[in-house]
Amino acid sequence: AALQTLREWIGIQQFPPATQSKLLEILGKYKEEDVSSLTVLVMGKGGVGKSSTVNSVIGEKAAAVSTFQSEGLRPTLVSRTRSGFTLNIIDTPGLIEGGYVNDQAINIIKRFLLNMTIDVLLYVDRLDVYRVDDLDRQVVGAITDAFGKEIWKKSALVLTHAQFSPPDGLNYNHFVSKRSNALLKVIQTGAQLKKQDLQGFSIPVILVENSGRCHKNESDEKILPCGTSWIPNLFNKITEISFNGNKAIHVDKKLVEGPNPNERGKKLIPLMFAFQYLLVMKPLVRAIKSDVSRESKPAWELRDSGLASRRS
Amino acid sequence: GDGAEIVTRLYGDEKKLAEDGRISELVGSDEVKDNEEEVFEEAIGSQEGLKPESLKTDVLQEDFPLASNDEVCDLEETSRNERGVENLKVNYSEIGESHGEVNEQCITTKEADSDLVTLKMNDYDHGEVADADISYGKMASSLDVVENSEKATSNLATEDVNLENGNTHSSSENGVVSPDENKELVAEVISVSACSVETGSNGIDDEKWEEEIDVSAGMVTEQRNGKTGAEFNSVKIVSGDKSLNDSIEVAAGTLSPLEKSSSEEKGETESQNSNGGHDIQSNKEIVKQQDSSVNIGPEIKESQHMERESEVLSSVSPTESRSDTAALPPARPAGLGRAAPLLEPAPRVTQQPRVNGNVSHNQPQQAEDSTTAETDEHDETREKLQFIRVKFLRLSHRLGQTPHNVVVAQVLYRLGLAEQLRGRNGSRVGAFSFDRASAMAEQLEAAAQDPLDFSCTIMVLGKSGVGKSATINSIFDELKISTDAFQVGTKKVQDIEGFVQGIKVRVIDTPGLLPSWSDQHKNEKILKSVRAFIKKSPPDIVLYLDRLDMQSRDSGDMPLLRTITDVFGPSIWFNAIVGLTHAASAPPDGPNGTASSYDMFVTQRSHVIQQAIRQAAGDMRLMNPVSLVENHSACRTNRAGQRVLPNGQVWKPHLLLLSFASKILAEANALLKLQDNIPGGQFATRSKAPPLPLLLSSLLQSRPQAKLPEQQYDDEDDEDDLDESSDSEEESEYDELPPFKRLTKAEMTKLSKSQKKEYLDEMEYREKLFMKRQMKEERKRRKLLKKFAAEIKDMPNGYSENVEEERSEPASVPVPMPDLSLPASFDSDNPTHRYRYLDTSNQWLVRPVLETHGWDHDIGYEGVNAERLFVVKDKIPVSFSGQVTKDKKDAHVQLELASSVKHGEGRSTSLGFDMQNAGKELAYTIRSETRFNKFRKNKAAAGLSVTLLGDSVSAGLKVEDKLIANKRFRMVMSGGAMTSRGDVAYGGTLEAQFRDKDYPLGRFLSTLGLSVMDWHGDLAIGGNIQSQVPIGRSSNLIARANLNNRGAGQVSIRVNSSEQLQLAVVALVPLFKKLLTYYSPEQMQYGH
Repeated sequence: AALQTLREWIGIQQFPPATQSKLLEILGKYKEEDVSSLTVLVMGKGGVGKSSTVNSVIGEKAAAVSTFQSEGLRPTLVSRTRSGFTLNIIDTPGLIEGGYVNDQAINIIKRFLLNMTIDVLLYVDRLDVYRVDDLDRQVVGAITDAFGKEIWKKSALVLTHAQFSPPDGLNYNHFVSKRSNALLKVIQTGAQLKKQDLQGFSIPVILVENSGRCHKNESDEKILPCGTSWIPNLFNKITEISFNGNKAIHVDKKLVEGPNPNERGKKLIPLMFAFQYLLVMKPLVRAIKSDVSRESKPAWELRDSGLASRRS
Repeated sequence: GDGAEIVTRLYGDEKKLAEDGRISELVGSDEVKDNEEEVFEEAIGSQEGLKPESLKTDVLQEDFPLASNDEVCDLEETSRNERGVENLKVNYSEIGESHGEVNEQCITTKEADSDLVTLKMNDYDHGEVADADISYGKMASSLDVVENSEKATSNLATEDVNLENGNTHSSSENGVVSPDENKELVAEVISVSACSVETGSNGIDDEKWEEEIDVSAGMVTEQRNGKTGAEFNSVKIVSGDKSLNDSIEVAAGTLSPLEKSSSEEKGETESQNSNGGHDIQSNKEIVKQQDSSVNIGPEIKESQHMERESEVLSSVSPTESRSDTAALPPARPAGLGRAAPLLEPAPRVTQQPRVNGNVSHNQPQQAEDSTTAETDEHDETREKLQFIRVKFLRLSHRLGQTPHNVVVAQVLYRLGLAEQLRGRNGSRVGAFSFDRASAMAEQLEAAAQDPLDFSCTIMVLGKSGVGKSATINSIFDELKISTDAFQVGTKKVQDIEGFVQGIKVRVIDTPGLLPSWSDQHKNEKILKSVRAFIKKSPPDIVLYLDRLDMQSRDSGDMPLLRTITDVFGPSIWFNAIVGLTHAASAPPDGPNGTASSYDMFVTQRSHVIQQAIRQAAGDMRLMNPVSLVENHSACRTNRAGQRVLPNGQVWKPHLLLLSFASKILAEANALLKLQDNIPGGQFATRSKAPPLPLLLSSLLQSRPQAKLPEQQYDDEDDEDDLDESSDSEEESEYDELPPFKRLTKAEMTKLSKSQKKEYLDEMEYREKLFMKRQMKEERKRRKLLKKFAAEIKDMPNGYSENVEEERSEPASVPVPMPDLSLPASFDSDNPTHRYRYLDTSNQWLVRPVLETHGWDHDIGYEGVNAERLFVVKDKIPVSFSGQVTKDKKDAHVQLELASSVKHGEGRSTSLGFDMQNAGKELAYTIRSETRFNKFRKNKAAAGLSVTLLGDSVSAGLKVEDKLIANKRFRMVMSGGAMTSRGDVAYGGTLEAQFRDKDYPLGRFLSTLGLSVMDWHGDLAIGGNIQSQVPIGRSSNLIARANLNNRGAGQVSIRVNSSEQLQLAVVALVPLFKKLLTYYSPEQMQYGH
């Protein structure tokens, strides 16, 4: 990671000048605030376009994209420096395997993030899917379990495949709002966010189109069907989140390992002992003794020990 | 120059050849025997028939004998090949010998390991490429049999699951197959054996070639004089594959459906080799072929790539081919001929049918009883098939598809194939009636009368939100079901009926399924409701929908597919089409940033889903066809308003055509199945009939009768009574011996060798005597006890109680039973404690059933076994034993209830009731047996049994006679018959035992068993012999052999010794051998 931090953010030069200037403007904002680094965590189901989004944002092929295979369980850290400011993006593998949330993957991610601070979480899903299902809820739940509820206050919902025409002649904006509302609701229920948690706060929605076929405006910026150039928009939203006043999530040992199970219920041990001694062992001993005293020896035993004659 | 020699030799040795043929016949297994005979006859016949021809065609004189020579060899090969791959090697060496006799040219016959390259076809993988390289002495002739049944225009060799469920097909092509000019041909089956072409063209001018080609294509059988060995190969192999009456015709018939076809395999182990049987356009092309034969492999692959579309449509998997270039002689223009005709063995075709499915033996028998009635039957079938064909053509016409469409062509081909298979005996298959059918179809369509009698039911399954309802709307081109992108559209199963191009289509819409494991119970509920819904009218086709643009990685669909399989059974996938919705979506960016090709994307995605289905269904041969679907209103349309996909495909007709094709094939299949049962009438019964031989052999088994506890040893007594009188002296012998003192070990070492021997002999003798005496005493005691018991019965009650006490009752306290001996394990602990159980005084004897072949670490219990002996009225013993075992796959129940009654002196009748699993059904058997024990030396028994298996009842009868000649020799003979539904099986067994004079002590024992079983004239004879001979004091030799008339047998010789421990070192020999074999290849690997 140390080596990676030193890498210059060259990819920024790949962007069209308009985008570049907007990005540099955002970087200047960070400088003003005296923030030298930003860590973005990208999570979501498999195959929704997490790695592609990371690549689009960085402007180079930083994360391996494989259309038909999952990329393994290891997260990748992409660090790029530009005039003293470091952008860390952590790309994670898909969290779903075979219809389950992959706990192993989550554990690996947690361990990977040890001693890091997550400034922004990008929860990625596709725009062009019509339904939400239990898996979405489970993924959100798993993220919440791993990093705590608070992480959602530092998060944004990223919808990929944004360049798409909704079915049945639906209005694009209508579709986007419906889809994002459905997903936000999933996040709300999956993370068990209560009403007061969300007081005066809403998770922003960012639209993304990673395809090479993305439309471009006259200044060669990739734009969405609604006309906004999405890369600066994404950075803007990230910046907003990082400055939204909520505390960034620091991943420490406690968070990673959870409470030590050995500590749990330690005080109860003497109590249990007393209970066993008084209520279990004593009656048992008593019962055995009474049984012994009531014992009647079979005839052959008496005969063998020479007692038979006495008895009869 | 060798040619001439061979001519003379051959003529002289024709007889020899015949003999060779006979040898092959002898070697062949029984099942194949008949065929081989046929084949053999044909071989001889053709040879004779060919002789004059070959004289006529002086050009080919040199080549011809060679051809026939090889033909015989090939014949042998074919017939053997039917028996499996293993035999192949053996056969090769045999062939080599026979060849050598004829030729004296063959120095080595090398069988290169026949690589099987598996072809995955539409539904099943069922083809292989046999690649056999045989090098003959100087001439290295090689043959690459590349089997590639995938074609674009004529997707012919692909098999349909409907027609060929579970069957294996192997087809190999030999000779020249020229790729058609038609670009649609994906990959023609090419197996160019250069020498075959050369032999063929050797000396034949082009005209002649063409004539021949016409012959093969045009089904004229008369003039095949110019044919070469290669051609004959084809003929012979075709005929060799079981009972094709007119092989040429069949071969040609295969070709006829679309004029260009690969040879096609049908049936189980049949192999057909249509050789040269392709329309060859010109000699030039042959030359080309020949030239390209060196790199056939890549070519085929290339062409495969070209035809991606067809891959998508019919799920082609790439064909691999291997051409052994090294073994190929340099290719040269065929037309030029050679200066001197070199002797080259004609190409041999090896075919290795892979036995995937079960090999039924119906086919050969079917051929046997070809009657005129069947011919009529067949004509009727043909008419029906023709009707189906017309129907299908009309359907495709309505969908706007020409007969050259891949799917259409394939279906037509299969129909033709089916017809041909049906009509291979007796009636001739006329010219393919395609033209007639298509004309008729067009006529009917034009007339627009005669409503099409066809309807198809499609059931749609898939994840929620993939567009099931939308697809249905698209199929009918109207809003049948309202859809909403965000709401669950379909909440319950529903039927939607409508007409598409005048064809009645019924679609069953189902609620969407959920992908998560935790939702599977919901899915199950949904699917169960679907199952209940379709019970009345099952769908013809299942359309499994998924999105093309979703990347279902990480086996995300597995839970869902599994649930579908669980609810409907794996068979649901046999008739399933995979539909990929959102087909107009753009493929994702490739690794280099540019968009990957659409076709590639579709192919990959299809593979992912197909693989998932295969896994879920547990059937790796499945290959569901894939159809693309796009329901988006903004989808590109053609002039006719039909939606067009990015690859130019109009998806709806394609999807419907696929569905209809499946239905049509199912119809044809049903028709033919129906037909299958007609001949002889016996197949119908046999398919369902109980396994009579099995039942019979269980009936013939001699079982001990149930006995009262105190009579447990009676039987032995009876037998031992025989020579009781002689015992008395022996008995006294022991007492008369002088006193004997056992020596300690220390004392033993002091003895000299001879002393030691004497001592041991003496000891053995004494031991023997002692044991004998003990046995005698035991017997006496028992007898006394019996007498006593009989007396007690007469005595007043009070006394008997006393006696009862004295009798050795089972222990009143539960005692542990001895430990079971467990199989060797890698476990660190000794898990015998897990298997300990107590022997209680309980009358019920309950024991665990230990599975000794289980996994390590596994709990070895498989089931429970319970036994009990009841005594009814102090007289009638009733024994009960039941066993329930269950493993991961299935449970078995076995229950046996037996009782016996003695009536009169020496007569007893036993009654029994058995219940046990037979396959998926329970078999109930009631049997009764009466024994006559009047004579000491001869005991007769007669028995009856009735078995209910499934819904069939079979009854059996047996007679058994036990002969006890003397103490050393006894024999049990039994014979019986079993009948069910007019089907009878006869059988008999004989068991003789010859044993040592004082058996349990003397260890010599020989047994001979023979069994004969006759069922449907199918005689099965089996015998086994076992002998145990003591060698010396502490060694035993046990020899065992068994053999049946099918040629299968086993011989085992076992020596066990408690003395010569060094013998155990022998076991190291195979170990070392194995190690050595490991060692050498390892070195090679390290060398790399």
